[in-house]
Amino acid sequence: MSEALLCCSGLSVRFGGLVALDALDLEVGSGAILGLIGPNGSGKTTLFNVITGVYRAAGGRAQFSGQDLAGMTPQRIYAAGVTRTFQRSRLALPLSVFDNVMIGNHRRLHHGLWFNLFRRSELRREFESNLAKARALVATFSARLAGRMFDAAGAFSMIDRRRIEICRALVSEPRLLLLDEPSAGMTHEETRELMDDLLAVRSRLPGLSIVIIEHEMNVIERVCERCAVLNYGRKIAEGSYAQVAADRQVQIAYLGTE
Amino acid sequence: MSALPGIASIAAMALYAAFFLHAESQAQVLGLVALAVVGVPVLARVGWIARTATSLEAHPLAARSASVAALAATIALFHDQHFVMLMLASVALYSVACLGLTLQFGYAGVVNFAGAAFLGVGGYTSAVLGPHVPHALVLLIGGLLAALVGSILILPILRTRGHYAALITVAFGILFRSFVEVNDALGGPQGLQVKGMNLFGWELNSPLRDLSFYANYVFVGLALAAAAFVLVRRLERSWVGLNLDAVRLDETAAAVFGIDVARWKILAFTCGNFFTGIAGAAYAMMTGFVAPNSFTFGDSLILVSIVLLGGLGSAWGVPLAAGIVLIVPEKLQALQEYRFLLYAMLVIVILLARPQGLIARPAREYFPK
Amino acid sequence: MDVGLFGQYVANGLMLGVIYAMVAVGFTLFFGVLDVIKFSHGDVLTAGAFAGLATYGGLQALGFASPAVQLLIMLLVAVAAMAFLGALIAKYLVLPLRTAPPLNTLLLTLMLGAALRECVRLFYPQGANPKPFPRLLPQDAVALGSFMLRLDNALLLLGGLAAIAAVHFVITRTKLGLAIRAVAQDAETARIMGIDFERVVLLTFALGSGLAALAGIMNGLYYSEINFSIGLLLGVIGFSAAVVGGLGNIYGAILGGFLFAGLQTAGAVLLPALLPQLPSAYKDVFAFAAVIAFMAWRPTGLIAEKTAERV
Repeated sequence: MSEALLCCSGLSVRFGGLVALDALDLEVGSGAILGLIGPNGSGKTTLFNVITGVYRAAGGRAQFSGQDLAGMTPQRIYAAGVTRTFQRSRLALPLSVFDNVMIGNHRRLHHGLWFNLFRRSELRREFESNLAKARALVATFSARLAGRMFDAAGAFSMIDRRRIEICRALVSEPRLLLLDEPSAGMTHEETRELMDDLLAVRSRLPGLSIVIIEHEMNVIERVCERCAVLNYGRKIAEGSYAQVAADRQVQIAYLGTE
Repeated sequence: MSALPGIASIAAMALYAAFFLHAESQAQVLGLVALAVVGVPVLARVGWIARTATSLEAHPLAARSASVAALAATIALFHDQHFVMLMLASVALYSVACLGLTLQFGYAGVVNFAGAAFLGVGGYTSAVLGPHVPHALVLLIGGLLAALVGSILILPILRTRGHYAALITVAFGILFRSFVEVNDALGGPQGLQVKGMNLFGWELNSPLRDLSFYANYVFVGLALAAAAFVLVRRLERSWVGLNLDAVRLDETAAAVFGIDVARWKILAFTCGNFFTGIAGAAYAMMTGFVAPNSFTFGDSLILVSIVLLGGLGSAWGVPLAAGIVLIVPEKLQALQEYRFLLYAMLVIVILLARPQGLIARPAREYFPK
Repeated sequence: MDVGLFGQYVANGLMLGVIYAMVAVGFTLFFGVLDVIKFSHGDVLTAGAFAGLATYGGLQALGFASPAVQLLIMLLVAVAAMAFLGALIAKYLVLPLRTAPPLNTLLLTLMLGAALRECVRLFYPQGANPKPFPRLLPQDAVALGSFMLRLDNALLLLGGLAAIAAVHFVITRTKLGLAIRAVAQDAETARIMGIDFERVVLLTFALGSGLAALAGIMNGLYYSEINFSIGLLLGVIGFSAAVVGGLGNIYGAILGGFLFAGLQTAGAVLLPALLPQLPSAYKDVFAFAAVIAFMAWRPTGLIAEKTAERV
């Protein structure tokens, strides 16, 4: 097996007296898709927040392609190639679809004040090539959406907003994509559609690894090669979906039976 | 879409402004105010304003030429009237300051309720350096000093959000006023005299032919306003503008996508204060004096009212709102005394009924046709 | 320093502290239930003081001469009027903006404060000038060594502490207080549990605003003078005190109020001693510089704010 892209060992997070993550060990290989499941409050989103630098770990370590994530700002972690979506969509709703996708493309754009103010023809070339790129990416999810790149994100339905959010996370061609409950608030049909599109994009980006938090077990079953189950901040099982689903401890965690 | 509706609207606005500035009796002024209050919603209802907007967007060159022609005609018409010229120059200079505020809380979401204090930094710079330093340099130094003084607030503003940052600027505004009031070197409560502007040998206080000497300040004010306008526009229509918006709308999401929140807040706050400082320096040279009472918390709220009335983040809204806020109370003497109250209530109504302001900020177009 | 003078400073500081604490408690209550800062709070205090003064004028005209009766009626009228005003503000100005960006609420309450201030200045007879406030409390003094304890000051201090204790009692021991705390903890859950959210918010605003009216009258009685802009300063200081203590925390607000008063009093005593050539007029400058410096040092207060952001 190749070197793990993301490697967490003994990772712990505490909020006051509450232990949100308890000595978690987790590895995600290059190009792998890992499903992360577990009851509400089991620490799944907390893990994403630690990986992206929003929260600090209290103990243990998380490494991304050999770099220690502790002490890195969210900005540097993004630049290293980690992007995410949020459980409750966090798009900039008044801004256009294009603007939202470009927020995700930050590391590919030039941000110098002089460049942006006075080198307008170069900026224009950069704008045009990025518009074409963003449009092509959005079009793999929805051609209709790609035709409305300059409409406000707030004008779209839930599924379209999710698509925009995933495009924002994909546009910079990250090496690790963290998806936080992409099916939340959508119908089964919509979720299936979204996953098909995601897999289509991934087939063009062979190096991309994905960690996906999901409650919809059929999504996990279809998309993930491997999954890990969290409960009270601990990993209680890991393996293929079939293995995990058969695990006695997992059944107890989910159904609460003895 | 033809350019005609846009040009007709600009002409109508110029005509209205001319009548308004010309009106002598209070009855005439009141009638004109009533006409606008009733007429604008009616025009909006029948779709004329939307047509105007699309027409202006489709023909930017015609729009610009018509605006310049309207402005030139207004100046020509009132060229020898001190009051009108003073008003136009004030609107231009306040527009510069409010474009600065637009950068700060229209784009980056950094609130600033000490706008008057930064005008004051510029004004006192003019008073102190005016007799010794070339005035073009004084304007620049006024802006730089305002930016520098503002940098004292950067650390507390970066470490806090929303309400807290607001409190810091409120406290700073009051602090500045108390400071200049008790500081004898800066003239105490009476303030200081300021020399008229002299740009490269051009004495602005000596009139050209039969023009009011304030016309000179109108030219300088318009030049500064045009420069500020172009800069703010270009900034908005660039990746920098996108970063500022992202920071305002969701700091956490911005940080997760690599945007350096602190950098953009500092940039917006500093540039905004720079603009305000320059405006303050020029304004003080025009009026000939500075005093603590011109830089109260109430004056800061006037600047905020202009930005909100025009439409948060809307560059065209700024001069329009500055015109309304500055000129209407001057023409309606009955309102003079009540102007702070009226502004405050106006903003409350705007926030409740039309939070996007008079001219809503349009979606970003990086390179409009 | 002699004991009498020192006692005077302590009494002064305690008095300021209790007024600041009363204002700060209001800020903290509003923030608790709605996560908003009501910047007009200081000006509600001003309006309360002027409502009291107007009532006094009315009572004089009607011929009620007993100071105790006058004071009681003044307090009742001012507190009731401001409580009502507070609820109105919450219902028609603050609640409608719940879904708007927080900046809008901030601007609205700032402008509302300016409007209230201007209304007092413009519509109260000669409102632009400082007004003498009647001395309704006994002016006798008791000599404690070389320190003269003025009875009115002692009464004011006790009254303020009693008011804060009463609010504390309401918050911790009554059904309304339980509802307020539930809403502050989690508005959504409180609503599901059958708590009438709007009613709780209105009552909280009424409570905080009534307390501000009381503070306004106390301020008038203490200084024997009020003017239309007292609220701006007291609002900024009260808000700072609430922040110093940690917004949303009632003990923090009280602590912050006294801390600020202590700092200010100490500043007034020590500054002239340390820098004798500096004019005393600089004390306001230093007070506000201290606010800004504190915010840079401890942006979320001594006792941390109630919630961390959810991501």
